[in-house]
Amino acid sequence: MLVVKNLTKTFSSTGSDVTALDNVNLTVKTGEFASIIGKSGSGKSTLLSMLGALDIPTSGSIEVDDVDIAKLSAGKQTAYRAKKIGFVFQYYNLIPNLTALENVILALEFGGMPTRKRKKRAEQLLADVGIDPDEQLRKPSRLSGGQQQRVSIARALANKPAIILADEPTGNLDSETGKKIFDLLHSLSRSENTTILAVTHDMDIAGKTDRTFKLKDGEIVA
Amino acid sequence: MNVISRGIKNALRSPLRSGAIILMLAISVGLILSMLVARSSVNAKIDEVKSTAGTNITISPAGVMGFSGGGDALTSTQLATIKSTTHIASTSATLSDQLGTSDTNLTASLEMGSFGARQQRFESASTSTTTDSSTTTDSTSTTDTTSTRPTPTPHITVTGTTNPNSVSTDGSDLTLTIGKTINGTSSDLVALIGTDLATKNNLVVGSTFTAYTKTITVSGIFKTSNKFQDSGIIMPLATVQTLTDQSGAVSSVIAKVDSSENVSATVTSLKSSLGDKADIVSEAEQAATSVSSLQSIASLALAGVIGATIAGAVIVLLAMVMIVRERRHEIGVIKAIGGTNRKVIGQFVTEALTLTVIGAVVGLALGVAVSGPMTNSLVSNSQSSSSTSTSNTTGGPGGMMRRGMSQIGTNLTQVTASLTPTVFASAIGITLIIAIIGSAVPAWFIARIRPAEVLRAE
Repeated sequence: MLVVKNLTKTFSSTGSDVTALDNVNLTVKTGEFASIIGKSGSGKSTLLSMLGALDIPTSGSIEVDDVDIAKLSAGKQTAYRAKKIGFVFQYYNLIPNLTALENVILALEFGGMPTRKRKKRAEQLLADVGIDPDEQLRKPSRLSGGQQQRVSIARALANKPAIILADEPTGNLDSETGKKIFDLLHSLSRSENTTILAVTHDMDIAGKTDRTFKLKDGEIVA
Repeated sequence: MNVISRGIKNALRSPLRSGAIILMLAISVGLILSMLVARSSVNAKIDEVKSTAGTNITISPAGVMGFSGGGDALTSTQLATIKSTTHIASTSATLSDQLGTSDTNLTASLEMGSFGARQQRFESASTSTTTDSSTTTDSTSTTDTTSTRPTPTPHITVTGTTNPNSVSTDGSDLTLTIGKTINGTSSDLVALIGTDLATKNNLVVGSTFTAYTKTITVSGIFKTSNKFQDSGIIMPLATVQTLTDQSGAVSSVIAKVDSSENVSATVTSLKSSLGDKADIVSEAEQAATSVSSLQSIASLALAGVIGATIAGAVIVLLAMVMIVRERRHEIGVIKAIGGTNRKVIGQFVTEALTLTVIGAVVGLALGVAVSGPMTNSLVSNSQSSSSTSTSNTTGGPGGMMRRGMSQIGTNLTQVTASLTPTVFASAIGITLIIAIIGSAVPAWFIARIRPAEVLRAE
């Protein structure tokens, strides 16, 4: 259960304050697949970074399973990101000199899994998202965009997070591959009972999610 | 996969760049090692020279060098002052004189030669009959000298000393080829004869000869490595003082200081108590002068060590700053997926350490190879000029006072570059400092990178 109350974020740049998020309220139930749509500059990325504990809100609260992450210390925020959040980025953001397998193992290491269990778990996760054993040993540069996004989904799932935050997960893929990635995320939210919050431009995709929030000028409009 | 292995893996991520960094680092580490070797070798040599220089201080009357110059001999009061100076353990006093043909029945064993003839060209017929010490006093009454200049004759040097061993040229005891030594503190009419003079005059132990109208008995024959000394006579100080009618006068005092640390203090106190009446020279001071060029090599080498350390640290620092800036996005991603500052910094420090360690291994090997030749060329280049000036001071009329110093002069160039474990350890320690400085600043950069940046990038 994700409950966002009165979330406001202002950035102070030279002389004037810019309000990126203005009194945002939203609730996403556990296992729901929700989408956030909005034009660029509407505050989507800011909202996502607040939800992912990458940044601290100016005011308001973000409760994940009854814990207010807006009030966590920097160290706790890092631990929260490692264990409770899975990120899927538009440009995948895999570590370039690590293999697909090592990228997933890295997330397991940060999540605190014992060393000897990591490799088996990573192989299983990659197999689940459709990466073959020989592809698992390749570096990201030797994988296609769709394959890289699958690896990043496997990485996001690694520590059984409470929420997966996806920033334009299909934005860098052709429509056919994008659909496959969307289907993967959708089925995972069902099978793993994971809450997924995806930021997207794609109205087709947004239309297929359980709920859609529309952001305009830092406010929820629908 | 952990922090360490990721760091090592990242260090070799771009072989060409890593190679360039390692090469630059290796050069500076190699320079550090060879400079450390040069410094410690030179310092060891300086200590050796200083410790062998001895603690002797030579005090001679102002204006006198050997038999040249003028001025008054040191008096017994001054000698007493020297003896009572703190830290002076023992003294040996010397009064030198020269015997002309009328003073003795001995024939000089030294040939006059063109040099000797020139030295005596000022002496007139009237003064040639007197002893040297009275020359200056008589010179005013010899204005009526005729132009007939007598054929110059070589003189025989008489050294009156409290310690016959002080005449030795090599710093050790005087070598007697036959007979026994004399008691320097007595006033007996006995003498030690130089081997050349003894041969020339067929003197053996027990023979007698006439000097200053007295009959002197030969107690022993000595041999030194110096032809001038071997043509001379050694007698007890008091005997020479009495015979030449110079009671209490001495022409040179060698004072031994109790320990080498006190030499310069003693020289200072002697200079203040004797004033401008005496010239004071210590072996330690002379040694210090002759090692001054070595000391400048040592400080040059130290500057080299510091310079190379700074260069090495700057190389690692710039390389790491460059790498961190380049991987800014990657660091943001690692933080976003839950990597702590400590883990990210640990990974980059490992990377810096890996580069430094490889650079250090190559550099130390390089340093071991070049430190010997480098030390030698540093020492021989700067010594070629100073060693000639050092040897000059051992010659001249004052030569007998500077014995032992020539040895030091020739040894100065023989510095052996030795790579001791201590030097090696300090080189490794300095390299470690380079790595720490080189990764501390990038670590600060890393800590400041905010994970939120990954959402806005690209």
